[in-house]
Amino acid sequence: MKEFLELHGESLVQSIIVHLGYVFISVAIGFVIALALGIALSRVPRFSKVILPIISIFQTVPGIVFIGVLFIYIGMIPFTVIIALTIYAIFPILKNTYVGILEVPEKYKEAAKGCGMSPMQVLFKVELPLALPTIIVGLRMSTIYIVSWAVLASMIGLGGLGDFIYIGVSTNNNELIIAGAIPAAIIAVGLGLLIDFIQKKVTPRGLRRNSR
Amino acid sequence: MIEYKNVCKSYGKKKIVKNINLKINDGEFVVLIGPSGCGKTTTLKMLNRLIEMDSGDIYIDGKNIKDFNPVKLRSNIGYVIQQIGLFPNMTVEENICVVPSLLKWDKEKCRQRAKELMALVNMPYEEYAKKYPNEMSGGQQQRIGVLRALAAEPPVILMDEPFGALDPITRDSLQDEVKAIQKKFGKTVIFVTHDMDEALKMADTIVFMNDGQILQADTPEEILRAPANDTVREFLGKHIQNFNQSQMICSDLMKKKVIKVTEDKKTLECVSIMSRYDIDSLIISDDDNRFKGVVTIETVNQRGKAGNSIKNLITTDVPTVSPKSSAKEAFDMLTERHADYVVVLDDDRKVVGIITKTSMSKALASVVWGGNE
Repeated sequence: MKEFLELHGESLVQSIIVHLGYVFISVAIGFVIALALGIALSRVPRFSKVILPIISIFQTVPGIVFIGVLFIYIGMIPFTVIIALTIYAIFPILKNTYVGILEVPEKYKEAAKGCGMSPMQVLFKVELPLALPTIIVGLRMSTIYIVSWAVLASMIGLGGLGDFIYIGVSTNNNELIIAGAIPAAIIAVGLGLLIDFIQKKVTPRGLRRNSR
Repeated sequence: MIEYKNVCKSYGKKKIVKNINLKINDGEFVVLIGPSGCGKTTTLKMLNRLIEMDSGDIYIDGKNIKDFNPVKLRSNIGYVIQQIGLFPNMTVEENICVVPSLLKWDKEKCRQRAKELMALVNMPYEEYAKKYPNEMSGGQQQRIGVLRALAAEPPVILMDEPFGALDPITRDSLQDEVKAIQKKFGKTVIFVTHDMDEALKMADTIVFMNDGQILQADTPEEILRAPANDTVREFLGKHIQNFNQSQMICSDLMKKKVIKVTEDKKTLECVSIMSRYDIDSLIISDDDNRFKGVVTIETVNQRGKAGNSIKNLITTDVPTVSPKSSAKEAFDMLTERHADYVVVLDDDRKVVGIITKTSMSKALASVVWGGNE
């Protein structure tokens, strides 16, 4: 163990940082895009019947294929990985934003309108706050998902914890596989817990389930 | 003043509101009532343009509401919905101050207003202001819903079946509170309900709607006294039977248990019956229950001899009515002729009942205070 860390410790830390970098950047970009798209879709729910299935098709394309194809067109730069991961990050957040907003009970929207709120005020003061718990569930799904997809970055030689796993697999070195897999798992669980914590913090007492 | 002029609204081919004309004075409490689907809620929501009318005009103080920006219009009209609709992500105080803060009142003014309003419904600011809606009962929530509508001091408040989801006791006290607040501040309230009790209790004017039209718009008293047609009468149901004496007939208020004897009874026997029942006269009938007259204790005293039959003591000078005659007729006999009772006889002159002052006052009491006697 000690020996292993002496040998690989530095590159392991390096890989974890790169891995986390991929996750944060792509989830952040994906979140912004998904939120905007989700809000836009919720304004015209009838379009969503077409748009949501199309986006969900992307979801079914294996990441390995997707990154491979982007690699051919864009090249071996981190941008390729970010694009691919971002696209995967979008869908869960988009879907939850859309569903979350549509699930806001009509009575609140009617009361908000009746109080004299403009459509924008209804969105920001009522719909988004009430959809927030659902949106964050989407964010959590995306994040955990992307932690595992980011392993693919190393497939096109762009680092991350995938390096250990791929090298380990190709050289039949279990230690290396575990050295890649365990930090990835810890990151996934850790980020999930972090988001749960944030969710608790940002949800007003009135919206918490079982608050009675 | 609010004025609806030839207002129409259809959904698809179905006409929901058909050419409504209605004037509402400042400070008036108007209740729109009618069976479900009659267009009352649509009529209400067209006023704050939550529903846009197809044709016609609505004026508030002479200004056409179409000339207003709908968002601006609504911030000047209070609105209370049936499902309460307090924003669950906001505290009680934030909910009350929704409209003031949209109108950019400063924070201190908003807080003062919330305090002042909460005092109106006996919910101390210190105790409730920081609570969330799901931490309160339905009745408390709807009180806050009403306060939210009042917060920015709109002259007009719309209420769409606001108490429909509450239990009867809570509903009753909220009705009282809302009515008191409305009177105190002289608000114009337009209130939708399908509950006639509620309408009679709250309204200055009841607007009865059916099938998109106004059948009658009148004071509660007038609606009860002279319902415009059978639909209104049917909807009034039990209220009208209680209220309308001209509809109440003698058989409704007579006592069916009558102390009567046949004319072959002897005087002493009759006196003992009278004293047993604590009455001063007996109704005499033949074997077929046909009315013969009455015998009073006085005539027995004056002319009766022990052991004689009562046959010669019978007086026929007694007010009688048919079971179908109006209660008013019996009432007049009791008061104007100072009779102690009226005998109710059917078409064959058989005795079916008796109306005394006691049974008459019981019947009147049930009209005034309700109840089914």
